Amino acid sequence: MNQIRYTRQTSIPQIGISGQKILANAKVLIAGAGGLGSISSYYLAAAGIGTLIVVDNDTVDFSNLNRQIIHSEADIGKPKAFSAAQSLEQLNSSIRIQPVNVEITDTTIAPLLKHVDVIVDACDNIKTRHVLNRASLKKGIPYVFGGVDGFNGMASTFIPGETPCFKCLFPNEERRQSTPGIIGPVAGIIGSLQAMEVIKLLLNIGKNLSHHLFRISGLDMRITNTPLERHLDCPACRGSFIKKEMSV
Amino acid sequence: MIIILNGLKEEVAENITIQACIEFVKEGDPDLIVEHNGRYVYPKDYPNRILKQNDIIEFINPNLGG
Repeated sequence: MNQIRYTRQTSIPQIGISGQKILANAKVLIAGAGGLGSISSYYLAAAGIGTLIVVDNDTVDFSNLNRQIIHSEADIGKPKAFSAAQSLEQLNSSIRIQPVNVEITDTTIAPLLKHVDVIVDACDNIKTRHVLNRASLKKGIPYVFGGVDGFNGMASTFIPGETPCFKCLFPNEERRQSTPGIIGPVAGIIGSLQAMEVIKLLLNIGKNLSHHLFRISGLDMRITNTPLERHLDCPACRGSFIKKEMSV
Repeated sequence: MIIILNGLKEEVAENITIQACIEFVKEGDPDLIVEHNGRYVYPKDYPNRILKQNDIIEFINPNLGG
């Protein structure tokens, strides 16, 4: 491990050399290489997360470039997973990047989650988010949610057996949704928050967004962090609490 | 009575429930998130949660793009 590269974070007492080693041994799955994934994957690569799995089945389009800053004009038409991997490898050649060009479904996600420590939700639709939520609950892997629309964004961290899950908050698995307009900086804010959540989860430091829904309205700069409680009747996560209670 | 709805004063009927308030403002998003005095409210509680004078309500449309 190149120590100089990480000096400015290993000098933080809560991280140190031992924390950096934890990051180097970590494996994070980033679901989506769009606006959110561009930012979270860049920061996680820069922070020295040992293995990043970047999953996306879309290709780079000109209309992506206002916010998906991991891609450039030369990448138009390329699969986003490979375009993102190329940028991340240029940023940090000492970590392992695994691009995966598949649609995320209950079937495709399962084999990708072997030894994964955290799932980052950087996708753009509710159906895929429910797939991630189910996988998170089944495998007991923390799930860092982020979503953006217009000037607005939201984020939360769902920990199986401890916190509400995505379905507690968004019970409907289908949503009539036209392609939302998104201003780039709001994807930057939420993607950055997701990366910070991942680092804290891996190092078990600080307070995270579990039990809270963070929201920002960028147009009028209103920021709120609403406390969330478990939805006792949630059909998705009820089982994870029962499992946890039985193991105590 | 007056409540604060999404940061603005709104006059609503006495003892209005969150469910009735959603219908009153014609909020049709099936994935709407409701915050009542800074606390998240689950949809199953909308019909029973009665609002009081000066309560603060936020109707939040989810941001699910990426």
